Amino acid sequence: MRSQLDTIEVGQNVRIIKLHTRGKLMHKLLDMGFVPGSEIKVIRVAPLNDPMELKIHNYHISLRKSEANLIEVEKYEKN
Amino acid sequence: MKKIKVALAGQPNCGKSTIFNLVSGIEQHIANYPGVTVDKKVGFFKYDDYKIEIVDLPGTYSFSSYSLEERVAKEFILDDTPDIIVNVVDASNIKRNLYLTFQLLEIGIPVIVVFNMMDVAKRRSIEIDINKISSMLGTQVIEASGSKGIGSQSIMKGILDAYKNREQYEEFKINYEELEIHIKNIESTINPKSIVLNKRWLSIKALESDQTIIEHLKTDKKDIEEKILKEETEFYEKNDKDTISFLAKMRYESADVIYHESVKEKEKDKLTITDKADKIVLNKYLAIPILIGLMFLIYEISIVWGYKLTDYTWPILAGFKNIVIDILPKAQFTDVPMITELVIWIVNSGNALINYIPIFFILFALIAILEDIGYMPRMAFVLDRIFKRFGLHGQSTLPLVLGGAMVGGCAVPGVMATKGIADERARMATILTVPYMNCLAKVPFYTLLLGAFFKFEMTLMMFYISTITLFVAFIVAKILTSTVLKTRETAPFVMELPPYHLPTIKGIIIRASQRVWVYMKKVVTIVLAVAIVLFAMLQFPGLSDEKTAYYENQSINALNKFDKKAMSIKYYEEIDSSTEVFALLNYYDEYKSKRMNTSSKEGALSVDKKYLEQNKVFYKFIKPKKDKEARKVNKLIRKLSKDRKRILRNIKNDKVENSLLGMAGRGMEPITKYAGFDWKINVAFLSSFAARESAVATLGSLYENNKSDSIRAEKAMELNSGYTSLHATAIIIFMLLTPPCIATMIVVKIQTGKYRWMMFAIFFPVTLGIVMSSLVFSIGLLNDWSGVEAMTYYYISIVSLALILGLYPNKNTNWRGGFNGSSYIKNK
Repeated sequence: MRSQLDTIEVGQNVRIIKLHTRGKLMHKLLDMGFVPGSEIKVIRVAPLNDPMELKIHNYHISLRKSEANLIEVEKYEKN
Repeated sequence: MKKIKVALAGQPNCGKSTIFNLVSGIEQHIANYPGVTVDKKVGFFKYDDYKIEIVDLPGTYSFSSYSLEERVAKEFILDDTPDIIVNVVDASNIKRNLYLTFQLLEIGIPVIVVFNMMDVAKRRSIEIDINKISSMLGTQVIEASGSKGIGSQSIMKGILDAYKNREQYEEFKINYEELEIHIKNIESTINPKSIVLNKRWLSIKALESDQTIIEHLKTDKKDIEEKILKEETEFYEKNDKDTISFLAKMRYESADVIYHESVKEKEKDKLTITDKADKIVLNKYLAIPILIGLMFLIYEISIVWGYKLTDYTWPILAGFKNIVIDILPKAQFTDVPMITELVIWIVNSGNALINYIPIFFILFALIAILEDIGYMPRMAFVLDRIFKRFGLHGQSTLPLVLGGAMVGGCAVPGVMATKGIADERARMATILTVPYMNCLAKVPFYTLLLGAFFKFEMTLMMFYISTITLFVAFIVAKILTSTVLKTRETAPFVMELPPYHLPTIKGIIIRASQRVWVYMKKVVTIVLAVAIVLFAMLQFPGLSDEKTAYYENQSINALNKFDKKAMSIKYYEEIDSSTEVFALLNYYDEYKSKRMNTSSKEGALSVDKKYLEQNKVFYKFIKPKKDKEARKVNKLIRKLSKDRKRILRNIKNDKVENSLLGMAGRGMEPITKYAGFDWKINVAFLSSFAARESAVATLGSLYENNKSDSIRAEKAMELNSGYTSLHATAIIIFMLLTPPCIATMIVVKIQTGKYRWMMFAIFFPVTLGIVMSSLVFSIGLLNDWSGVEAMTYYYISIVSLALILGLYPNKNTNWRGGFNGSSYIKNK
């Protein structure tokens, strides 16, 4: 099932399908490893509910929900 | 001796600066890259017969041109062409780090890869086959643990080996498959003669739309841009992919291949220490209390304890001042030589600033510790939501706290700490709002006013004063980011939360001292220059002839009185000429100030001994003991000293009133009268521009009661100023917003890089201050409010305004995503 990254609940594993963004934000996301096919786990959201902390390529990164909204992902269960 | 130039590159949080400190020893320079505020650290060391210069490039995740740091790093490679690149890689986070490594390898300059934090990798049971990685990348790979001091010899040797074999070096190439043909096409159009750098690298970068590289290529070939566009379009039409995402994907896939071939992570999904710590530090309910606690701790250690430390350092500075006074020409009773006055003024201004150095050192060391541990990005993570509302950034927290968001701080380190904020608009807004925080040096000023006018409401007023600043800062930030800073670049909030690390003592001390040194160099020198200008403005045009004659008369009277009474004393012949009397008077005053400056018994004894040796006769007069006649002289000299002080003070006040600054103060009265300020307050504000401490000193001396020495400044102000508490509230409101001190303005200039912003940072708060205080004063006068009432209404209005403004979200104009710039789900 496809959805946006900001709607994913804590603890869920997802895979990136597409970045719906251009320019600076896209470059930054690509550089940080948000390439299609990469796996992401949602670790937690900040105490005030934004931004969110993610684990990607075995490191931790935080992203505001407004930006996470632009990343299309699909859920998968880790075996 | 032969020289090798080395560039040190690596991603943020890979421990690059520990490696830099490990190899470069003490000989380090810190400067700026040309035209920007990015620090350029250069270190030197000798190995064999070579002198090796190592340049620390800014930490970047990638090697494109999207951030200032990346641009700076790339320009360095293009313009300075180092012999060797040392790439530091975090061994516990290989995959992402290799992404940069590939880009460095493509450049064509020999690269050595240093796998740092091997100890962390081992602890996490990550097994790395170094030889395999080395053969896959076709370059040397060296193991190191910077924080444990392991690896410096092998790195130095590696640099030398790479340098000696540089002719044979062949760079590693990723096979970009479908894109290869397009890379070749661009390569063939690049002029072979004038380009020293690797053509393949330039072509790849060109296909990545890297503006720095394209500009570089354009100097040789004007139509290169069209050529690049043609290749990009062709690639897109054939493969339905854009080159930029394609390159990124290929690099990550290549990193993945190397990772899977040579790294084994046995406990991949086991929680690390960092994961466990973050469960507490970033916990939904605990995160904010922990953050507040930490802020409080930093404030307590650096500001409160540091302030206590100045009790020990101040006597040293005062001692220095006494030494200087000893060298200077002596006063002839009330005739003080101009040079003496000037030098004492300069020493006073300098001391006032140098006095803060212990505080700054502690503060900078604590910041360095927080940075090294990795708490800074977590702080940003926790608070970003609030700051975002006002156009600021999570990373604005620390600068504001240092500036004095809690009771007091100093804007100088606060503004300097804004460097790391990635979002340009938020960084500018933070720089321009930190000066609104409560500066420590304002505290004596508030104490003076509160003591004089709010004896019974002190706590409430102090609460208002210390909490209102943050709301003011929010309002100002919101106004600035929606007006003058509206079009500034904003950066997406994509921030790494690195694993926690123990900081190294050496690294902390080096960084703290470097920052203190920068402060000394840039701030102290300029403050001294301004102090001299202020001195001149307070001196000239000086007293009128009548006044001069009047004070001369007073001096002669005082001396005559002394002489008349001294005649009957048996020591009269020791003090019957004016030279002798002046010498004795100076001897007496100097002795007093030196004794005041010594607290220990031994110190006091040594001062006594020194003065006894200097002049036995005079010593008898200042320490008469049981000698009745000497006691008479002692009494007279004490009286004379008091008279001299009184006359000097009156001269000074008249001079100030008559001076250029005094005139300026009077000139401003037509405007400032709406806020209830008279010229004296204006002069105090003007003189506080050099250093805020001087505001209290100026006011104190302007309001001092001339008849008595013992009255306190608070009392004097209450009795002699004719102000009501409403006046005091207006003054406090103005002081809360201003005056910007010169040291802060200098760092604003350094951090923004523009005098324009410095001028803005001066005039905007001053205007705001005068408007706000005039409003409160005028409305208060109409409604017959007391000072406390006026302050309460002001406080309520500011807080409400901040909350209302916070409801309107800030727009980010420079980057957009989704289809047609909106969320993609709506378009589906």
